[in-house]
Amino acid sequence: MKVGVYFCQCGTIVSDKLDPEKIRQDVLGIPDVHYFKTVEYLCSEDGKNFLEQDLHEEKPDRVVVTACSPREYEKTFRECLAKAGINPYLMHMVNLREQVSWVTADPEEAEKKAVNYIRAATARVIHQAPLEEKEIEVSSDVLVVGAGPAGLKAALAIAGAGRKVVLVEKTPVLGGMPVRYEELYPNLECGPCMLEPVLAEVLQDKEIEILTLSEVAEVVGYCGNYDVKIRQAPRYVDTVKCIGCGECIGPCPESTANLFNCGLNDSKAISYALTGGLPNAPFIHFDACRRSKGEDCQLCKAACPVEGAVVFTDQERILERKVGAIILAVGSSLYDCTQFPALGYGKRPDVYTSMEFERLLAVTGPTEGTVLRKDGQPPQSMAIVHCVGSLDKKHAAYCSGVCCQYAFKFNQLVKHKLPETKVIHLHRELVTPGKEEFALFERATGNPNASFIRYADLDEVQVKGRDGTSEVRYKDAAGNNGMIQADMVILCPAVVPSKESINLAKLLETPQDKFGFFEELHGRADAAQSKIKGIFLAGTCQGPKDIQASMNQGMAAAGHVLSQLPMGKKLKIEPITASVNEKVCSGCRVCRTVCPYKAIAFDGERGISIVNALLCHGCGTCVAACPSGAMDGYHFTRDQVFAEIEGVLQ
Amino acid sequence: MSQQNQEAARPEKFEPKIIGFLCNWCSYAGADKAGLAQNPYPPNVRVIKLMCSGRIDPEFVMQAYMKGADGVLILACHFGDCHYKEGNFRATQRHRMLLRLLKQQGIEQERCRFDYVSAGEGEKFVQVVTEMTETIKRLGPLRRKSRSKN
Repeated sequence: MKVGVYFCQCGTIVSDKLDPEKIRQDVLGIPDVHYFKTVEYLCSEDGKNFLEQDLHEEKPDRVVVTACSPREYEKTFRECLAKAGINPYLMHMVNLREQVSWVTADPEEAEKKAVNYIRAATARVIHQAPLEEKEIEVSSDVLVVGAGPAGLKAALAIAGAGRKVVLVEKTPVLGGMPVRYEELYPNLECGPCMLEPVLAEVLQDKEIEILTLSEVAEVVGYCGNYDVKIRQAPRYVDTVKCIGCGECIGPCPESTANLFNCGLNDSKAISYALTGGLPNAPFIHFDACRRSKGEDCQLCKAACPVEGAVVFTDQERILERKVGAIILAVGSSLYDCTQFPALGYGKRPDVYTSMEFERLLAVTGPTEGTVLRKDGQPPQSMAIVHCVGSLDKKHAAYCSGVCCQYAFKFNQLVKHKLPETKVIHLHRELVTPGKEEFALFERATGNPNASFIRYADLDEVQVKGRDGTSEVRYKDAAGNNGMIQADMVILCPAVVPSKESINLAKLLETPQDKFGFFEELHGRADAAQSKIKGIFLAGTCQGPKDIQASMNQGMAAAGHVLSQLPMGKKLKIEPITASVNEKVCSGCRVCRTVCPYKAIAFDGERGISIVNALLCHGCGTCVAACPSGAMDGYHFTRDQVFAEIEGVLQ
Repeated sequence: MSQQNQEAARPEKFEPKIIGFLCNWCSYAGADKAGLAQNPYPPNVRVIKLMCSGRIDPEFVMQAYMKGADGVLILACHFGDCHYKEGNFRATQRHRMLLRLLKQQGIEQERCRFDYVSAGEGEKFVQVVTEMTETIKRLGPLRRKSRSKN
């Protein structure tokens, strides 16, 4: 076999320490090395042209390049090989600059080390095999699951690039959690004013197919080519024909708990999810409708001025779509406050979660924005309990990040609505990150009716009382016991993964972190990508965050899709992956348990593991784990590494 | 024979052979960082780059001893920094197993050191390599059982 060695002097940086002429003699003595050529700067244009030309003329079987770190120039020199008609994976680089000449004091030792490395590289490169970058056709359509702030922004960005988006939303309306907030922190701006223009854009975008009352039922395939089945529940109202007049709602004789108002009031069996919700069409809660009991009630249909807008024959549908990428933006939920029985939630009157209180504050809510106690009196005092579950190893061992801000928002809204009402913040910690949040904190602390009590442990906060007014007992951070009266208690629960996201994680085999949120590819560098290629993350399903951060992450996820799966381009499959020797595989599936990317499938019929090269990142953990030696990793095969070990020790 | 005696008499002459298995993303980059700082260290370590410390097959380590290494370094990303999320965790598990294996073979456990070197820790790389070289010098050459004698 003919091995050619190219020695880059890096000007004189390498050659000052390592005399190429001395090294030449030793290197030419290595079996299979046919020639040794020195170049002043191999990475310069002249150097690259020389390499390409020389490879073309010499036609070596394998190439060893001794230069700087392969982390810097391996790709460049691989390209030179490719241009010279040699498979780029038939080269091995020796790092003489960073790891020999710069760090070895004695020139003789440095030369010995250099020759040693070149011998090992030669031994290794002989075992290297040509590898091909395969390409596959991909679908340019994108599935976005969840139409909250993150999903909406992702959908708009992708549609803006001329790509088709399938936007799946489980509720009847778009907008996610924030559609329920009348005012937003930190500036107490109008929530609908922020959200509605975004919603209008989404509704008008012809590239976005909106599927409300829908959920992902099945996903088959992998990055670039997913076959998705979407289950859409019947709405019984045609959103295209409906003009949104609401005439159908009045005559309806049946009522049911209004889930958008957290069940604080009832809505008709045919109703809007919430006033102003988009798409602007009601829907029928079939379980509450008289028709579900076999009666032929037609009151809504009779009141409807448009022919065919109310559709009693509507049925559950399974829709099939082909997409290349999936963005998960399914949001999160709030920690179950009944886990803290001492806080009285669900038992005492006027103890609310923050979401319930948002609805009480909203003019579209159950009380049309009037904050009253159950007995109809305005509350004289209000306790806001922060960190309900957050920062607590027994519950949610992280800061939810949003609660302090909305608690300060409540403080300000209560001040405006009920100027006499005392607001007492009971908190474990207070956080005000960001450039705008501190101003809100200042306003909240500047409220003359507000006070702040730092408690030591939520287990020692108790909400008790006989009548409507609660007594909130606590032990403060200094260890003193205290008690306050509160006509109303607002709990700020931890932001936790929703049931939907946990189900979806199972369906898509997408890893979750220790809290149950979708696990990002990298906590800092790649938080908008999941560990599975082709599946991206946005919003609070990846971790607690506010509207701004959710929308940003939606854009980030869209950016990943647009750059990783550009329209009209095939998807390249990196050749450095694991591979199974099917004859040797015993089917023990250890490889599947260690693979962080779910890149290994099990073929039950043949009883062997199969690597999906597209999903494999080439780390080689499965190779080291395989007890039967059936798994190997391209470009880092057992033979190659053994040859390198032996070579370096000679 | 006389040469061996000389070596035994002057152990400082012994130059150990050490193989360093480094992951591509953190520890190899850390070694490069030491190079950029032009901070000299003992020339005894030979680096073999793998994509991830999770690829380090215990067989590689045993092969290194068989082929003449006196010590083996396994360097990985810090916990939580692994480019592949948890390869370094697998590497620690395998290192623990290797230590048991070495004990059974009568090889000093110090001959197989696991450590964390991040891409920014050039100085730590120098420190680990220097310490390891000193450790192996102190232990002396790895004595292998000759098959022919058995």
